[in-house]
Parts: sequence; structure tokens; C-alpha cells
Amino acid sequence: MKKILLILAITLTSLPVLANDNHRVMDHHAQHEKNQGEMNHDEMNHGEMNHGPEHSHGSHEHPTENAKEDVMTMSAPAITTTDDITAALANGGAPVVVDVLGVVCDFCAVAMNKIFGKREEVSALYVDLDKKTLSLVVNKGASLSDEDIENLAKKAGYRIAAIRRDAEALGG
Amino acid sequence: MTLSAMRTWVAALGILLSVSAAARPVSYTGGWTLLQTANRASTAGLLHYSISHNVSVGVRHEWQRGDDVTLTALQPTLLAKRWYGHNYQANVYLTGGLGTATDRSVASLGSDTASFVGVMTDWETRTLFVSYEARFLEQGKLGNHSMHAARFGWAPYTGDTGELHTWLMLEVDHRKHFDNKTTVTPLLRFFKGPALFEAGYNVTDSAPMFNFTYRF
Repeated sequence: MKKILLILAITLTSLPVLANDNHRVMDHHAQHEKNQGEMNHDEMNHGEMNHGPEHSHGSHEHPTENAKEDVMTMSAPAITTTDDITAALANGGAPVVVDVLGVVCDFCAVAMNKIFGKREEVSALYVDLDKKTLSLVVNKGASLSDEDIENLAKKAGYRIAAIRRDAEALGG
Repeated sequence: MTLSAMRTWVAALGILLSVSAAARPVSYTGGWTLLQTANRASTAGLLHYSISHNVSVGVRHEWQRGDDVTLTALQPTLLAKRWYGHNYQANVYLTGGLGTATDRSVASLGSDTASFVGVMTDWETRTLFVSYEARFLEQGKLGNHSMHAARFGWAPYTGDTGELHTWLMLEVDHRKHFDNKTTVTPLLRFFKGPALFEAGYNVTDSAPMFNFTYRF
């Protein structure tokens, strides 16, 4: 038993941070300036992000990006359409696209489906492993805040990099 | 049904439905996971419930076939750290257990308290996979065991959501109490929706490996 306790103690003390859940939602549009110190820019594919006209790169550094990637010409992934999503949009639902970090397998998709699918506000959803996005349609008249989405993603075991809504979510 | 027949049935079930610890042992908040493994050393099942996205509690039942010892234990698991990347995910899990081990052989030594600790870590993209796990088990008069295993995996194609995902993997394990201490197992992993199935064959110790995971 002493040996086991010793091994456990060594393992625990060798971990720099236990259960580091302090990452913030990385809504790249509204909070980039505010949260840039908390973001891991290496993990984020800026080339695929639409930073929006209000985003100013002159005020901070992106040391790992080259100048070409820093030009926000590429559009972010739009909502993935499925029969359910198309029908929900036709019923007046609001489209939301969430860029999700760490989504690499079907278990990730299952977790997101289970957690978000339980919410009454959500009328349709789809996890796209190719785009690394969660496409949602929020029921007409209902709301699902960015904070709600962040918390639900956390319950599923994941983190979000950006949230796009309405025309932007549709690729407009 | 006799005890022997029951053990045979459990072993058969384990071979049909079994899982590697490399399949993540913590699920989403409120999620249940059935994990079963059958490898050269043991047949085991773990049913766990994730009380949060980083903590699960479960019940483990394991049959160490060589010694004919069964282990039943409560097993909490902590997702100690997860790294989230745009194209990857990496995890460190800590696990442990406390329960009872029972010698089922004819010359039975009886039962004793059993405890174990383990660590599992993995790094995964949609086409590459690397993992390592270790477990240290103490069973008093029924013997102590340690196990280390590392895996390397490659997916020949990237399946999208809900499609069949296929992986080619190689596992190297080390078990100090075995004659063949270090062995190699090539295996195939098939993954679709909430189910994961693995089949392999230990080419060093001539033993099959069958693993299964189901999330619900």
C-alpha cells in the first residue's frame, strides 16, 4: 500500500495543473482584445476565422502566424445543413455555429449531441468533425447565450473557440 | 449454473464485449459508459457514471485468468488534464480502486483487500493516436501486479460524424509477473457513434485481445 501511495503522490505532484478548467470562451469577435492573454493562439486556426471588421491586429502580437494568414480573407465555416437543421431553420429557428476545440472523434460528437440535445431551446444540432463545428438551431423566440453554450460545451468535456450567429452562421 | 460455468460465461462476454483503458474512462456529465477488456492477462468490465466532465465513478470486475483470481472494486477516475487543440486532444487520467480480491482456484487462498492506482495518458488527432497507461495493483496474499502499456495508432482515412472510423494500432505491454514480460499486440479499432470495438492478437504470448466501449 505504501508503494501505491508513493506512486500516486509522485503522479499528482508531477502534474502542473489538475483539471485546468480555467479557459475562457474564446468568442473571437467580442472578446479578443479583452482575453488575448488567456488565449492559446497556437491552438486556434486563425486562417479559418472571420475576425470581423472591428478586430484590430495592430494592437497585439500573433507571433506564430505569418502575415498572409493574418489577413482575414477566409470565411469561417458556415452551418452544416442536415434535414433536421434545414427544417428547423424553415420554422424560424436561429442558426448558431460554434467552433469547438478538441473534437477529434465520434465520442466527442456523442457527448455534444447528448448535452445540447437535452436543451429545450435547441431544435436541431449537428457536430461536424471535418469542420470542427457544432451547428445549432435555436427555437424561434428562445435564446441560448454564449455563456450557456460555453457551459454546455464544458459539460460535454470540450472548449469553444468562437460563436457565430444569424447571417454570419449562414456564411453571409 | 455452477461457479465455473459462470466464470466461463463472463469470460466469453468479456471477449465479445471488452475494452481498452485507452478508450477514455470519463465521459460527458451525466453519461454512462460500459467498458470491457479481454487481453492476455485478464477479462474485465467497468461500468461507470460521469458525475462531471472530469470525474467518473464506477464498478470494476476483473478476472485474472492466470491466477484464477477475481477482483471487484469501486473505481473513481479523474480527468486530471485535457489539452484542447484545433486538430488534437490530449488527456491525463488518474484512476484508483478499492475492493476485494478472491482466489477462485481449487487450492484457494481465500480473499483479501485489493487496491490499485493507475495513470492513463493519450494524444489523438483524427489520424494519429498515442497512449500510455500504467497500473499498480496490490492484493495482499493474492499477489501484487504492475502493468505498463503503450499504443500507437493510425487511421487510414478520416471518417466524418457517424461514419465508421477504422484504426490500425500496435500495443506494447509489460507485465512483470508474466514469463513473457514484454509483448506486442497488433489490433484493429472500429469506431462508430457511441460504440468502439477492438480486435487484436498478441503475437508474443499467443493470446487474443477484444475490447469494447459503449456510451449511453
